[in-house]
Amino acid sequence: MQHLRWLMREWRGGELALLLVSLVLAVTIVSGIAGFADRLQRGIVGESNKFLAADLVLQSPREVPQDWLASAAQLDLETARVVEFRSMIAAQESMQLASVKAVSDQYPLKGMLRISDQPFTLSYETRAKPAVGEAWLDARLFPLLKVGIGDSVRLGDRQLLVSKALVSEPDRGSTFAGMGPRVLINTADVAASGVVRAGSLVDYRYLFAGEDASLTAFQNSLAGSLDASHQWQRLKDSQPQISQTLERAERFLLLAGSFGVALAGVAVALAARRYSQRHLDAVAVMKAFGATSGRILRLYVGNILLLAVGAAIAGWALGMALQSALFTLIQDLVGFRAPAASWAPIIAGSVTAFICVFAFALPPVLRLRDVAPLRVLRRDIGNEGLSVMVSAVSGIVGLSVLMLWYTQSLELVAAVLLGVVAILGLAGVLVLRVFSSIRRLASRVGGVTRLALSAMYRRRHANAFQVVSLALAMMVLLCLIAMRSSLLSDWQVQLPADTPNHFLINIAPDEVPAVKAWLDEHDVEFAGLYPMVRGRLVKIDGRELAEIPNVDENRGSVNREINLSWSENLPSDNGLVEGQWWAADETRNLVSIEQEFADRLKVSIGSKLEFLIGGLPLTAEVSSIRSLRWDSMRPNFYLLFAPGVLADYPSSSITSFYLEPGNKVILNELLTRIPTVTLIEMDAVIAQARSVIAQVSAALELVLLLILSAALLVGAANIQSSLDSRLHENAVLRTLGASRQVIARGLVAEFALIGAVSGLLASAGAELSLYLLQTLVLDMTASWHPLFWVLAPVSGAVLVALSGWWFCRAVVTTPPLYVLRQL
Amino acid sequence: MIRAKQVSKRVRVADAELSILKGSDLEIKSGESVAIIGPSGSGKSTLLGLLAGLDDVSDGDIWLCGEHLNALDEDQRAELRARHVGFVFQSFQLLPGLTALENVMMPLELRGDKKAASTAAEFLERVGLAHRLDHYPRQLSGGEQQRVALARAFAAKPSILFADEPTGNLDAATGTSINDLLFTMNRESGTTLVLVTHEPNLAKRCDRRITLAAGEIVGDDRINGTAD
Ligand SMILES: Nc1ncnc2c1ncn2[C@@H]1O[C@H](COP(=O)(O)OP(=O)(O)OP(=O)(O)O)[C@@H](O)[C@H]1O
Ligand SMILES: [Mg+2]
Repeated sequence: MQHLRWLMREWRGGELALLLVSLVLAVTIVSGIAGFADRLQRGIVGESNKFLAADLVLQSPREVPQDWLASAAQLDLETARVVEFRSMIAAQESMQLASVKAVSDQYPLKGMLRISDQPFTLSYETRAKPAVGEAWLDARLFPLLKVGIGDSVRLGDRQLLVSKALVSEPDRGSTFAGMGPRVLINTADVAASGVVRAGSLVDYRYLFAGEDASLTAFQNSLAGSLDASHQWQRLKDSQPQISQTLERAERFLLLAGSFGVALAGVAVALAARRYSQRHLDAVAVMKAFGATSGRILRLYVGNILLLAVGAAIAGWALGMALQSALFTLIQDLVGFRAPAASWAPIIAGSVTAFICVFAFALPPVLRLRDVAPLRVLRRDIGNEGLSVMVSAVSGIVGLSVLMLWYTQSLELVAAVLLGVVAILGLAGVLVLRVFSSIRRLASRVGGVTRLALSAMYRRRHANAFQVVSLALAMMVLLCLIAMRSSLLSDWQVQLPADTPNHFLINIAPDEVPAVKAWLDEHDVEFAGLYPMVRGRLVKIDGRELAEIPNVDENRGSVNREINLSWSENLPSDNGLVEGQWWAADETRNLVSIEQEFADRLKVSIGSKLEFLIGGLPLTAEVSSIRSLRWDSMRPNFYLLFAPGVLADYPSSSITSFYLEPGNKVILNELLTRIPTVTLIEMDAVIAQARSVIAQVSAALELVLLLILSAALLVGAANIQSSLDSRLHENAVLRTLGASRQVIARGLVAEFALIGAVSGLLASAGAELSLYLLQTLVLDMTASWHPLFWVLAPVSGAVLVALSGWWFCRAVVTTPPLYVLRQL
Repeated sequence: MIRAKQVSKRVRVADAELSILKGSDLEIKSGESVAIIGPSGSGKSTLLGLLAGLDDVSDGDIWLCGEHLNALDEDQRAELRARHVGFVFQSFQLLPGLTALENVMMPLELRGDKKAASTAAEFLERVGLAHRLDHYPRQLSGGEQQRVALARAFAAKPSILFADEPTGNLDAATGTSINDLLFTMNRESGTTLVLVTHEPNLAKRCDRRITLAAGEIVGDDRINGTAD
């Protein structure tokens, strides 16, 4: 009761505003950014899971036992079933090999189907599925089969009514088994068609969606029952590119958020410092009038805790408003509806409020307990300020706890903290050094300048504190700016505009000229036609593959048929890592192997690899090791042979090319001309990947903007907090006869010095943190930022001097008597 | 009321030890008004602080209102002050975040006085500030602030009041009116007064003058009948 009354008084008296504002800022940032990042991330993951049409997919060559699915239902997972196989589809006048996809009623669990009412007309999204007895055909199939909407086609023994033209399904790109023009039917029609028999090549896909934890529990529950033929797909496996993009973006958001928390923490520390500084006299007076230490402690700690509760509530409300505002802002950009806000931000907000209070606000306030009552007679007692060390240690501990709890990533926190500690260490040495030399300088000049300089020296601890907090804010900004640009440029490099978006495979040797002709005819740029022979690697240096330890079989490729190719020249986007590329007239059996593949098989230059190709053995010697870009969307091969080695084996060719969206009609011509080639359309997948990247980039920019404003606030709080003592000292100087100009120059010089030193420290801290972040957290190559070392000190000096001048106008222009009387 | 025996105070400055107060004896009776005078730096404020229990002695003993201060810890001394002691300072020392009324209520509330607000208002009226109850110190002139401070000092009805150059920060005319008020209120409440001052006129209004020089009591005159 008494606390509340006291709090109300202080509130009215304006003493609490700055502290409350910083606490509210901290909570707002956390609940706002945490909430925003959380929702955005869930939204983007949800969006990306459309690539799977689910959160999790179990792929199997057979139907799986019913009780497996029952356990999914127990875990509250939604399920759907997809059966894929290739089959002839027949119409009145012609037949066509098609890739049939039968889907259950729940399909798709994520994403939407895109269809049109007539082939090659305007398409729209739908949640509808083909009803029993209906078939939706790829637009391309209409001319090939010479059918229209309302006609019927035959699949095995089943007549199906053609009711829609299918444009895309969300999970179209997720399996390469989906080759050839697509026919979408209902699972109920599969049995009746009679085309799926024991031994047919069928791909069963079981789709699941639900909570992350339940999905993992489900995966674990089946771990014992699965064999090598079953495969799980989660976003990570099916779309490494997108999942990496997301992972980095998520880390970045977390990082930005925790930087935001750090900044807010610094703001709280500054405000609490100012608060307690301003209360030193009040406490001394109260003690003189008989208040005990315990009473002072209860009063102020009570105040602060009450304040924390208020800040938690207000900050949470503001944070919610902030994140929904952010979402409204980017709704159009991201193109998906925000998932509902969760409770997480409320908890995050309250925890933040209390950690901020304990780590940042309490130490300076606790000091009030020990204020000597004698201060009422001698103002200089207990004026030395809270030691920077105590603030630093409790601040760092609080910061670590907050960031650890918030990011759950030890590496991330360690990287940032090392930067922070570097700043503190350097600050200790540098700042005190600089200000000591100022004192020496002071002894050499005379008059008012000397007074100003020695005032600077006297404020060295406060200045050191100011430098540290400014440097932290700047370091955070530098880190974020650097990471943002390297992330963005990384992503842009990944998917340049002309990334091949179509693959042609199964090109028979005698069809190669026709394909080439078609490509040339339409001026399509392509990645070269690569011959492809299917073969199996059986022995390495005479040892059976099975005998070689640690050959990770689950990763496929090794123990299966793999694609072998040959080339006269090193493909343009490959890099030679070891060994030598062969000459054009090479006659030995040489093979070039991909780097990671070689590592996995423990193969080096000179190793002898034995293959079985169409039942015939072939031995080749490894002559070079190559690096590849798997994300280049070009045909890539683990194993490339010298020309001629594979010439006698049956081969087919593969190529990839880029086709503009408006140009897709020409595919019909190709498929009519050469019906047996298989076309894989990746354009939808690539477009989706691009939009994910665009969304993430937009989000990053926004968060960066938020953090920037937090940093500016810290700067403002920082300068303001140093105002009281400056106000007083400058008033004294002016009564002593210093001209406004002298005082103004002194102020600007001091602030510029503080800004420059902060910028320098920030560059050092940012460089260290960035190095650690890039190597440990983001899996990127580290880079140095020489520009920082120039820009940060210069802009720091200019900005701090300017804003210092702005805030301190009052010091210089108000009559000294007025200031003296107020203090 | 106050008894000091061989009180001395030493502080460490840089590497040397500085003796600010050297073995002083002093006794002040209840209801007495005492001026402590002496040149600047002679140790007046130091003595005042020791007598009020704001600081520890280096040597010697002090009794305040019958309690042996040496035997009390910081908090016990605070409780003693809450019950018996009031202060007026040179720089007013009002709490900037509190209104005039709340400033006066503060010592009353520290005692747990239930009628703090009405008592405080009554005392502000006595110092002529009935119409400024809700004003903050920054909205008051120096003289007005010191009047609030007087109200604060007397409102809790202390048995002893310590004042350290209460008019040192005020112009002569304002200072005189504050002094008048101080002595009037002091007389009305029968408080023991210990007053540090530079002004001979002010010192003359006290029952007794103690003169300090270089940390030693060099004079102790009673001026009977001069007060008013
Ligand atoms: N804690 C301390 N540390 C260092 N020196 C001190 C301390 N306290 C007092 N002094 C010194 O002791 C001397 C006496 O101080 P005190 O404040 O008692 O003087 P004063 O008589 O009140 O002077 P004035 O009239 O100027 O207020 C001064 O020289 C002062 O600088
Ligand atoms: Mg004094």
